Amino acid sequence: MTAAAAELRVDGVTVRFAGLTALDEVSFTVAPGSIHALIGPNGAGKSTCFNVLSGVYRATEGSVHYDGRELTGLAPHRIAGIGVARTFQNIVLTAGTVADNLMLGRHGLTTAGFASTALRLPKAVREQRRHRERAYEIADFLGIAAHFEQPVGPLSYGDRKRVEIARALCMEPRLLLLDEPVAGMNPTERLAMAATIAAVRAELGISILIVEHDMGMVMRLADAVTVLDFGRRIADGTPESVQRDPAVIAAYLGQQQEQQKEESA
Amino acid sequence: MSEISKRAVAGVGVLVLLALPFYATGFWLQSGLFAMAAVIGAIGLSLLTGTTGQLSLGHAFFLAVGAYGYVWLSGPAGAADGLTGLGLPPLLAFGLAVALTGLAGGLLSPIAGRLRGMYLGVATLALVFIGQHVMLNAHTVTGGYNGRSVPPMDLFGFALADASPQGLLVLGVPFGGLERLWYFGLALVALALLTARNLLRGRPGRALGAVRDSEVAAAVMGVPVARYRSAAFVVSCLYAGAGGALLALVFRRVVPETFGLVLSIDYLAMIVIGGLGSVGGAAAAAVLVTLLPQVLTGYADDLPLLARAGSGAAGPTPGEAARYLYGAAIVLVLTLAPQGLAGLTRRRPRKTLQEHTP
Repeated sequence: MTAAAAELRVDGVTVRFAGLTALDEVSFTVAPGSIHALIGPNGAGKSTCFNVLSGVYRATEGSVHYDGRELTGLAPHRIAGIGVARTFQNIVLTAGTVADNLMLGRHGLTTAGFASTALRLPKAVREQRRHRERAYEIADFLGIAAHFEQPVGPLSYGDRKRVEIARALCMEPRLLLLDEPVAGMNPTERLAMAATIAAVRAELGISILIVEHDMGMVMRLADAVTVLDFGRRIADGTPESVQRDPAVIAAYLGQQQEQQKEESA
Repeated sequence: MSEISKRAVAGVGVLVLLALPFYATGFWLQSGLFAMAAVIGAIGLSLLTGTTGQLSLGHAFFLAVGAYGYVWLSGPAGAADGLTGLGLPPLLAFGLAVALTGLAGGLLSPIAGRLRGMYLGVATLALVFIGQHVMLNAHTVTGGYNGRSVPPMDLFGFALADASPQGLLVLGVPFGGLERLWYFGLALVALALLTARNLLRGRPGRALGAVRDSEVAAAVMGVPVARYRSAAFVVSCLYAGAGGALLALVFRRVVPETFGLVLSIDYLAMIVIGGLGSVGGAAAAAVLVTLLPQVLTGYADDLPLLARAGSGAAGPTPGEAARYLYGAAIVLVLTLAPQGLAGLTRRRPRKTLQEHTP
């Protein structure tokens, strides 16, 4: 680890797409070393928020600060350089082996250029070997070391999710953004993934911001929860307080109550 | 194929290539050298289009920059026909011609970095026409419509040209210009193959592949997308420059007609037939696409249905027939083997693993 985790401050971020307000003055703070969950019904703006944090979208208004540095307006690769890594909701891996993908995560930490790589200069060869060892360690930590040399294409869905997280960890981030890490998994896989996420925080001491639909997992894992609905923040606090919040129940669990009413009627 | 048998095949191939000048006729050596130039150029385009996902229709232009660059840099200054040149030693001129082509690509890098895929293809299409105009009209440099002759390669006073006054004999075989140029070409091809393979297996290659597969994911992983797109363009131009300069040495005369849009399309055909993104595949297909018309021309009399070029007889000329054949090859590749020649040699992925994919 090069530097300790720092505070992420999201301040009044608004994102508009041609008249549609995807995020409306959203503010929250992720404490250093915490697991912070971002939840909300479909279309609440969670993924938009992730895209703003990683520099893929630009905020119309508001600002994002990490470790005292303003991220708003920075290109994605610069934000990556500051130590913010992310995964995608629908797995986005590149063709090649697991090792190739993990080594892509080391891109910002390595320096070999076109000339030194093409000519296989000793410096470039040494660098690649050293970083490959670290990538293998991270693969081992995520439980995918057995697939290290295999192409990613034929791997199981759960393993590919793990490759994505391992690739993000290969960037040695201080803040990890996980977009629905257990979506599409069965209960056993979900439990294993939750354990992995907890282990990542415990071992590496980094902050994790997680978008997730699985409420049980959010309540178990998260230190703090921010709830979005229609692009607005409707609640923010500990999992217990958020769970009791009437606005959250109306937006999130209200649908279930209505269903129950319909069923009993 | 196992790793050992692959190596054995490659070793035998190298030996055959090294021994060829002792047995093959001038026609075959010339065709082979022509194919070598194409291999180098195709590797460059493969890195740009196959690996990075950026289309270029301007490859013929950069081959021309390499070819004319070499001729101008090594050509004699102040000749009677009004042609200019710097009169540099051929090897230096060759290196500088490659650098010049890279520079030409670099000048285009603001465009090459910003435009994606198809759009870059349309933008680079213009280069071919600009190139034709310049080649036809910059008379003192290019020699205009009739082109200009190419100074032969010369390595440390050892001329790689025909009609050598020493009358060099190696193992009883007269070693003329083609034979010597053959080894120069082989060395260049080996260098091109090795550097491209190293690039693909290293940090730049992974970044370029990421840019092709997902621009957003690449950027989020810390890859400056525009800079890598530009870099891929410049690298592909360097290979095109080397290929073009070698082409000039083989032709011994450069004319604008060679470097038209058809040449760009030929190179695209090579990398599609070879399998996008595969250096070895692109090289193999480059050999196939360049040798086919040569072979058909050489054996036009013995083949049915073929008319000799310019004879006025019914039937396709060898050049046309070759185009039909590799047009058919592209269709076959796209429908039956989307991975191209490279895909045919690769081991199939294990089916048992694939079944788990949702």
